[in-house]
Amino acid sequence: MNSPVTVYVPRDSAARSVGADDVAALIEGAAIAAERPIRLVRNGSRGALWLEPLVEVETPAGRIAYGPVNPEDVDGLIAAGMLDGAPHDLRLGRTEDIPFLRDQTRVTFARVGVTDPLSADDYLAHGGLAGLRRALELTREQVVAEVTESGLRGRGGAGFPTGIKWNTVRNATADLKFVCCNADEGDSGTFADRMLMEGDPFTLIEGMAIAAYAVGASEGYIYIRSEYPDAVATVRQAIEIAYAHGWLGERIFGSDLSFDLFVRVGAGAYICGEETSMLESLEGKRGMVRAKPPIPALQGLFGKPTVVNNVLSLASVPMILADGAAAFAAHGVGRSRGTQVFQLAGNIARGGIVETDFGITLGDLVERFGGGTRTGRPVRAVQVGGPLGAYLPVSQLDLPMDYEAFAAAGAMVGHGGVVVFDDTVDMAAQARFAMEFCAAESCGKCTPCRVGAVRGVEVIDRIVAGQDRSKNLVVLNDLCDLMTEGSLCAMGGLTPLPVRSALQHFPDDFGGEQ
Amino acid sequence: MEALPYVRLANEIAVQFRHWEPGEAAAEIAAHLRSFWDPRMRTQLIAHVEAGGAGLDVLIIDVVALLREQKVH
Amino acid sequence: MSLLKEPDLGTPARVGEATVDVEIDGQHVRVPEGTSVMRAAALAGIDIPKLCATDSLEPFGSCRLCLVEVEGGRGTPASCTTPVAPGMRVHTQTPKLDKLRKGVMELYISDHPLECLTCSANGDCELQDMAGVVGLREVRYGFEGENHFDAPKDTSNPYFDFDASKCIACSRCVRACGEVQGTFALTISGRGFDSKVTAGNGESFLDSECVSCGACVQACPTATLQERSVVELGMPNRTVLTTCAYCGVGCSFKAEMRGDEVVRMVPYKDGGANEGHSCVKGRFAFGYASHPDRVMKPMIRERITDPWREVSWEEAISYTAQRMRDIQDRHGVGAVGGITSSRCTNEEVYVVQKMVRAAFGNNNVDTCARVCHSPTGYGLKQTYGTSAGTQDFKSVAKADVIVVIGANPTDGHPVFGSRMKRRLREGAKLIVVDPRRIDLVRSPHVEATHHLQLAPGTNVAVVNAMAHVVVTEGLVDRDFVAERCEGFAEWAAFIARPEHSPEAVEQITGVPAAELRAAARLYATAPNAAIYYGLGVTEHSQGSTMVMGMANLAMACGNIGRDGVGVNPLRGQNNVQGSCDMGSFPHELPGYRHVSDDAVRTVFETLWGRTLLAEPGLRIPNMFDAAIEGSFRALFVHGEDIAQSDPNTKHVTAALSAMELVVVQDLFLNETSKFAHVFLPGTSFLEKDGTFTNAERRINRVRPVMAPKTGKHEWQIVCEIAQAMGYPMHYDDSSQIMDEIAITTPTFAGVSFRKLDEVGSIQWPCNDAAPEGTPIMHVDGFVRGKGRFIETTYVPTEERSTRRFPLILTTGRILSQYNVGAQTRRTPNVAWHPEDLLELHPHDAEVRGISDGDLVTLASRVGETSLRARITDRMPVGVVYTTFHHPVTGANVVTTENSDWATNCPEYKVTAVQVGLKQVSVATNELSTSALAD
Repeated sequence: MNSPVTVYVPRDSAARSVGADDVAALIEGAAIAAERPIRLVRNGSRGALWLEPLVEVETPAGRIAYGPVNPEDVDGLIAAGMLDGAPHDLRLGRTEDIPFLRDQTRVTFARVGVTDPLSADDYLAHGGLAGLRRALELTREQVVAEVTESGLRGRGGAGFPTGIKWNTVRNATADLKFVCCNADEGDSGTFADRMLMEGDPFTLIEGMAIAAYAVGASEGYIYIRSEYPDAVATVRQAIEIAYAHGWLGERIFGSDLSFDLFVRVGAGAYICGEETSMLESLEGKRGMVRAKPPIPALQGLFGKPTVVNNVLSLASVPMILADGAAAFAAHGVGRSRGTQVFQLAGNIARGGIVETDFGITLGDLVERFGGGTRTGRPVRAVQVGGPLGAYLPVSQLDLPMDYEAFAAAGAMVGHGGVVVFDDTVDMAAQARFAMEFCAAESCGKCTPCRVGAVRGVEVIDRIVAGQDRSKNLVVLNDLCDLMTEGSLCAMGGLTPLPVRSALQHFPDDFGGEQ
Repeated sequence: MEALPYVRLANEIAVQFRHWEPGEAAAEIAAHLRSFWDPRMRTQLIAHVEAGGAGLDVLIIDVVALLREQKVH
Repeated sequence: MSLLKEPDLGTPARVGEATVDVEIDGQHVRVPEGTSVMRAAALAGIDIPKLCATDSLEPFGSCRLCLVEVEGGRGTPASCTTPVAPGMRVHTQTPKLDKLRKGVMELYISDHPLECLTCSANGDCELQDMAGVVGLREVRYGFEGENHFDAPKDTSNPYFDFDASKCIACSRCVRACGEVQGTFALTISGRGFDSKVTAGNGESFLDSECVSCGACVQACPTATLQERSVVELGMPNRTVLTTCAYCGVGCSFKAEMRGDEVVRMVPYKDGGANEGHSCVKGRFAFGYASHPDRVMKPMIRERITDPWREVSWEEAISYTAQRMRDIQDRHGVGAVGGITSSRCTNEEVYVVQKMVRAAFGNNNVDTCARVCHSPTGYGLKQTYGTSAGTQDFKSVAKADVIVVIGANPTDGHPVFGSRMKRRLREGAKLIVVDPRRIDLVRSPHVEATHHLQLAPGTNVAVVNAMAHVVVTEGLVDRDFVAERCEGFAEWAAFIARPEHSPEAVEQITGVPAAELRAAARLYATAPNAAIYYGLGVTEHSQGSTMVMGMANLAMACGNIGRDGVGVNPLRGQNNVQGSCDMGSFPHELPGYRHVSDDAVRTVFETLWGRTLLAEPGLRIPNMFDAAIEGSFRALFVHGEDIAQSDPNTKHVTAALSAMELVVVQDLFLNETSKFAHVFLPGTSFLEKDGTFTNAERRINRVRPVMAPKTGKHEWQIVCEIAQAMGYPMHYDDSSQIMDEIAITTPTFAGVSFRKLDEVGSIQWPCNDAAPEGTPIMHVDGFVRGKGRFIETTYVPTEERSTRRFPLILTTGRILSQYNVGAQTRRTPNVAWHPEDLLELHPHDAEVRGISDGDLVTLASRVGETSLRARITDRMPVGVVYTTFHHPVTGANVVTTENSDWATNCPEYKVTAVQVGLKQVSVATNELSTSALAD
C-alpha cells in the first residue's frame, strides 16, 4: 500500500464546468487525510459527458470509473475504498466496459481521456509520434499519397478530400507556405475539437507537423475561438513542451523539416470558422469571407499556399501515417472512410462524444448511444451538422451517417454535431432561428446573406402570423433559392437548409391558412 | 559686411573644384562661367581682380586670367 | 461616378503573354490568362450586371448581381471573381440568372430610400441603373422591415457628404481608399446587416486619417458619397477634358460643367499620369478660380505707394511697353528682363521667353524652376545629356527597390505617391533618405527597409558612400558600365577612396555605417531599383552635385534605360518641366540648347527676324543682385510670387523696391505685387488653352472650360506687349504657338494640338525617331551618347549650426496646401492646414520650455518670424521643419542667400536657426536685434 494510487480526474472544461476541479482537490485532501498517497492525473474527458466528473482509479483490474462524482460524494467514496476500486453507488466498473464507450471505435480520440494531455512520456507511451517519424522516412509525395489513399475528408464540414488539398499546396511554388488549423469550432452542439485540444493536443501538433512536411510548409497557426480559454492554454503549453522535446522548431528529428507553430485566438465571430474569414482574421483583418478562386491552397494566408484543415482532420493524420492508409480506410462506408467523431447534444439522455465508423444510422446514435431524449419525451427532430444543418424528422432516423447519403436527403453530416429535440419543439421558431442566426453572424459581405437573412426572419414572422401566407411562402422560397445559389460562402448558402427542412417536414408548425 | 554677390558665387564654385588639379579646375570653372554667367557679372569679376581681388578664392584669380584671355580673343 | 461614362470593364486588366479563348453567350473572345469572366464578357460587348465591381478595383464578389452559369460547372459563380479557363462556355442571361439578379436587387431596394426623383445622383446612379437592367418591378418584402433609412449623414468634409442611408455596403469606397489611394482610412465596421462604412476609428471623415483624395467618392455607385457641389448645383451637363494645374504629376481630369460653372472635377481613367486617381487639390480645390479676390481688370500705378488704378487693356499694355523701352533707352538693353511661370502653359512660357529674347533683345529670362529643379537640369544634362527624368510614372510598378531621397510623395505628389505605395504593398523594398520621418517611412502596409535619417546638407556624402559600397564591394554592373558609360575608371578610383566609406562619413551624415551599407547593397543587387527625388536633393548648395551623384550611382548599378529603374525628379509645379523645356533659362533656347550655339540661334533668328544674343543672361538671384547694384531696372513677373517664395525675403524686397518697373501677371494680388507698378490679371487653368508637361515629360492638353474671365488670354497679352514695343508677334490661337515650338525644337517635332487630341498625351522626345513619344529614356544609349561619370566631391555648406543658431531648419510641403498657398488658401482646403507649424523634436522643445501649440520665434542670421510649434518625433534632434504655404509665416524671412554652386538654386533646405518661446521677450529681443544687426 506504499506505492501511490493513480487517480484520474478530467481537466476537460466540460468536466470542470460540473465541479471536476473541486472534486480533484477534495480527493487529494481526503487521500492525505486517509494517509493514502495518490498520483493525481488530470486527463482529458472520456466523452461520456453525463457521467462527468468521471473519476477513474488505476487498479490491478484496470481503470475503474466512478461518476458522476459530486464534491459531496468524495469523502464517502474514499471511505468506501474508491482508491482500491471498491464498490459504491457511483461505481461504473471498468471504464472500457461502459457500453457507451465500449461500443465506440476510438481512432482520432484514441488517447483522449486515457492519457495526461501534457505528458510527453504518456504521449510516446501511447504511440505518439509514430506517424511523424514514419512520415519523415517517406518522401513528401508519399505522405500526401498515404493521406489521399486513406480517404480522409475534411472533418470541418465540407468533406473535401484532405489528400487532394495537400497535393495542391505541395505542388504550388512559393517561398513560404503555411499550415493552418481551423479550431474555431462555433457550430451549436459541437465540442469535439475542443475536447481533442484539451485532451490530446500533441496529436494535433503531430498532425500539423506531418502536414507541414508533406506540403513544404514552415509555419503553422492554430486558430482557436476565444470561447475556449482552456483549449488555448492547453495547446500553448503543449507547443512549448513540443519545442522543448524537439518536436517543433528547426530540423525536427534531424530531418529537413523545420516547422514553427503558433496559437491565435479568435474574437468571437462565428464566420471566422469559414476558412477564408479565418485567414483574414489571422492576417489581423476583419473576419470577412474572401471570394474563391483563388483557393487558399494556392493563395491563402498572406497570399501564400496554405493548408487549412479542421482539428479532427489534422488529428486523424498521425494514425493514418502510423498505421497506414489501409487501416484507416478499412473503417467507414462508400466514400466516407474512417471514423467520425459524433457529438450528441441538445435534449439527449447521454450526451457526449461518439467516435465510430461512418455508416452508423442516425437513429443508432440518438437511441442506442444517446438513450433518447433527456426529458423522456419522444424525439421529434434531430439537427445534424450545426446550425446550418437540416432538421431531420423521426422518419429519417434510419439515414446512415455518410456524406453522400445525407446530401441525397437534403441534409449534411457537417462537423458531426447531432442536436436532438423532443416533441415540444416549435419548428417554425427553429426555422426563424436559422435566419436569425445567419443575420447575427453574417460577415455582411454578400447581399443575399447580409440583407436576405434579415428579410428571412421578417418573412417567416409574417407567415407564422398568417399574413399573406401563400404569397410569403413563395417569397421565402425565392429567398432560400437566392441564398443557396447566390451567397458567397456556406453561411448564407446553407442557412436555407434548416429553414427548408423545417418547412418540408413540419409544415403544421408554420400555421395554416387563416 | 556681406561679400559682393559675384565674389560669393565665384567662391562657392571654386570650393567645389578644390580637389581638382588647379589648371584643370580653372579651365572648368572658366567654361562654367562662360556658359552660365551674364557677361556683366564676368566683367565685374574681372574688374574686381584687377582692383586687387579682395576676398576671392585664389583659384578664381586663375579663372579670371582665362576669362580675360578669352575676351582678348 | 461621373457624367461622361467611361467604359467600365468591371475588373482590372491582366497582362501576360498567355491568352485564353472562351465562349460567352455564343461569342468567342480571347483574353489574357487570369482575366475575369466579367471583363472578358465586357470586351465581347456583353455587359453583365454589377454593383460591387469596377475596373479600378480588384474583384470583391459581394453584390452577387454578376452571377453566371458555366457549362459543366457547379452553381452560379460570380463572373467578377471567376477567371476565364480554356474552352469555358459561359451563359450570362438565363431565366435562372434573371431571377437571382432580380432577387438581389429586391433585397437592395428593400433597404434603400425610394427618393430617386429628389436624389442628387438621379440619373447618375448605378443602383438605379441596375434596378432597371434586371427589370425590378416589385419589392415583395415591403419597406417596413429593418432598414437604415435614418442612418446619420456625415457632412464634416468640406467637399463631399457621406449619406449612410443610401449605402449599399459594396465596399467600393473602402477598397478604393486602400487599393487606389493606399490610406486605409475607411473600413466596414459591424457585421451582417449592421455593416457600415466607418472612417478611422468611428470618427468623422474630417477627423479621420482620410486625405480627401476623392477615390471613395469616385468609386461610390450611389449618392452615398457625393460631391457637395453636385448636391448644391445639380448634375453637370457637359464635360471638358483637361489637366490639373497643381503639382508636377499632371493629372487628367474631366471638368464637369453646368453652363459656365464647374460642378466637379473628375479624374480621368485614361489619363496617362493618374489613371483615374486624384488628390484633394486637383479633385476639389478649384474654387480659387472664381474666388472674389481674383483681379479681373488691369491696373497701374506710378509709385508703389500709390493706390492701384484700373485701366483698359490697351492702356496697361502700352504703358508697360513704353516704360520698358524707356528704361532700356536710359539703362541699356540688358536693364530689363522677365520671369516665366511654371504654373502657365508651354505656349504662354514660350511667348514670354520669346518676348524677352526677341522684343527685349536680351537673354534675361529665367523661371521659378531656378529655385526648385535647376540642379536637376544641370546634373542630368551633364551626366545623361538631357534635363529630364528618365521614366514614366508607370515604371514604378516594375521597381523592386525604390529609393526616395528628399521627397515626400504622399504630400507633395500624392497621386504618384499612391502608385508608389501600391508597388510597396506588392513587396518592393523602400529606402528613404530624409532627415524627417516622412509618412512613407511607416504607414499602413508600407514600411521602409532603411530610413537613412541624415543630417540636412549631407546628401552628397551619403550618395558617395553608397557608391563607395557599390564600387568596393564588387556590386558594379560591369557590362552596363563598359558598354554604355565613360569616365568610370577615374570616378571609381575617386569614389573608392577611404574618405567616402560609410564609416568615414558616419560622423558627418549621422547615418550608421552598417545601415548605409545595407541600403547600398539592397539598391545595387535589386533586379530593378529606381531613385525618386525632390527638392530635398536640389535645394542645397550642392544640389547639382547631388543630382550627378545619384546619376553616377544609377549608372554604376545599371539602373537606367528600362522599366522599373531610373533617376526621377518629382517636379513641384504642374509645368516646371515644360517651362524649362520652353527655353526659360537665360543660357538656353527651347530644347535645352545653349544660346552660344550658332546653328540653334540661326533657327530662331530666321523665324523671329531678330538677332539673338549669344551670351547668357541674368538668373533670378543675379537679377536681384543687379537691381540692388543698379544695372537691372525692370522685371516682367509672370505668375510667380517671388517676394514670398524666394529666399532671404529682405534681399528680394530690397531688389524689387530698387526697380523702376515691376510688372506682375497673376490671378491675385500677392506679396510681389506690393512692389509692382503694373498688374495684369491672369487666367486660371480653367480658362487656358494649351499644354502642360509633367514630371514624366508627358505633354497634356489644357482645354478651356470657359472664356478668359479677364477678356484676354495671357499669351495674347504678352504678344501685345511685344507688339507695342515694336516687335511683331501674333498668333491666331495657341495651337499656332505649339506649331512654332514643333518647328524650332527637335524634341517636340511631332507634337501638335491635333495629335494630342488624337492620342491623349505624348512624352517627349516626340519626333520622326519616336513618333509616339518616349516613355522611358536612354534605352539603347544615353542622349549624350555615353553616360558620363562625374566626380562628386562633398563640400559642406557654409551654413552650419552655431551657438547662436544651434538648430537646422528645413522646409517642405503638406498635402492640402500648394506652394505659397495663393490657390489653396482660397479654398476650403484650409480646413486641414489653417496655418504653418514649426515641427521640432520633443528634446529640442523641452530644453526651450516649448509646449505643443506654443507660439515660437524662429530666427536665423538674416531674419526672424514667428509661428506655432508642433512637437513630434518625426524630427531628429537638432532639426526643425516648417511649410511655407501662408505668407504670414514668412518662412523665407529666415532663409539665406546660399545657393547651389552650379545653378544658384537657393539652399532652402538648410538654415541655421534658433527657436524660442515667443513670450520669453528678453531672449527673443536679444536675438532679433542681433539678427537685424548682421
